[in-house]
Amino acid sequence: MDFDWTTFILEIINFLILIWILKRFLYQPVLNAITRRREDIEKKLADAQRIEAEANELKHRNEQYLAEWEVKKENEQAQLNAELAALRESKLAELEVKITEEAQRRRVLDERRQADFQRLIEEQGIAQGAQFSSKLLTRLASPELEDRLYVLLLEDLQGLHEQNRHIVTEAMSEPGLHIKVQSAFSLDEQKRNELTRLLFKMTDRALPIEFHINPELISGFQIDIGPWILHANLRDELKFFSGALRHAG
Amino acid sequence: METPSIVFYVGPFGITSIVVTTWGIMLLLGVLCWFATRNLSLIPGPLQTMLEGVVSTMETSIQSVLPDRAQQLLPFIATLWIYIVTANLTGLIPQLHSPTGNLSVTAGLAVLVFISVHWFGIRNDGIRQYFKHYLSPTPLLLPFHLISEITRTIALAVRLFGNIMSLELVALLVLLVAGLLVPVPLLMLHIVEALVQAYIFGMLALVYVAGAMQSQQHEKGKDL
Repeated sequence: MDFDWTTFILEIINFLILIWILKRFLYQPVLNAITRRREDIEKKLADAQRIEAEANELKHRNEQYLAEWEVKKENEQAQLNAELAALRESKLAELEVKITEEAQRRRVLDERRQADFQRLIEEQGIAQGAQFSSKLLTRLASPELEDRLYVLLLEDLQGLHEQNRHIVTEAMSEPGLHIKVQSAFSLDEQKRNELTRLLFKMTDRALPIEFHINPELISGFQIDIGPWILHANLRDELKFFSGALRHAG
Repeated sequence: METPSIVFYVGPFGITSIVVTTWGIMLLLGVLCWFATRNLSLIPGPLQTMLEGVVSTMETSIQSVLPDRAQQLLPFIATLWIYIVTANLTGLIPQLHSPTGNLSVTAGLAVLVFISVHWFGIRNDGIRQYFKHYLSPTPLLLPFHLISEITRTIALAVRLFGNIMSLELVALLVLLVAGLLVPVPLLMLHIVEALVQAYIFGMLALVYVAGAMQSQQHEKGKDL
């Protein structure tokens, strides 16, 4: 446990030198490195915070844009819905009108078709009636019936209206004219003479008269004086009857 | 404990093996520090991480006692820790003795602590204001303050010297009595003791310096 002053003094000096050495080669470089790193970290942190603030600002702005777009979208959607509703209403109204027109047209068509059908039925009925009458009258046709019709012919010729008589007279004034008398059955001589006298008397002229037998008349007579024709037979009466019914229908 | 041998003389002064060992430690630490800190980068490698960890830990320890003076006190206190640990562990190398097992060395360190207490105290608050605290709270306590300064310095020197010297002595005695490998546990204990004693010496020095600085601040606070 000796105490050596030289060692004591030298140790103090050595320690002071060691302090300088370590300060120079250890503490300062290491602390500087730590400080540099800390500054670098702080700089990066500041940059990161700045970037984060910018990102937050952008995010906030983006959210605002999104909110504005959302409002705009809802408004435009509401407007579109309103337009669609109005268009739908107008289209529905148009469709309603078209349906009404179509229904009316169909009703008219149905009525027309029904009327046509009814007319067709009536015509068929008339034709059948005429056919039936024709068959019936054909079966009833006989010289006796023709005699009766002959009487009626004479009455008609004698009771001919003055105006008609004038027309017949004018028609007979054409040159080369002759009178054609058709009958379903053969006329005897007496009837022919009587009819000739009556025609001469009615026309005041002696025109040549031709007598023919035409079974198609069923029964009765047809007298042709130029353009003037007198029908006094069942065939023409039936035609007249059918025509009258058809026009009445 | 044998007396350290004189290796050579410089004039009338005999340079002992302890001083030579100290120079060796200084050279070793200087070279290691120069080598380790020549290429420090922002992204540290394993060695730089270790160095930064050691320095930061020491700085943090000082900051926990004196938050505002860590930078100022770091070179002195950290050098005490590093040197004393290295010196304590030097005793584990065969043919070498721990410099801290010599009273002249520990006394030198204790005197340095004594001087630095006053040095930092005076730097912090001025000579007049600093020595004024010896008279507080009453001038009657001045002798006790003086005795406290001297005894704690002596205690600092003797504590380190006694612990390290006794460790080497015990290891030597066990080696002589028990055999070659028996002192190995004691050598493990030597490592722990080296670290503990260095920590104690540095922390006491820090506390003494902090006491000198904070006593002035305390007085200032009272004046305000």
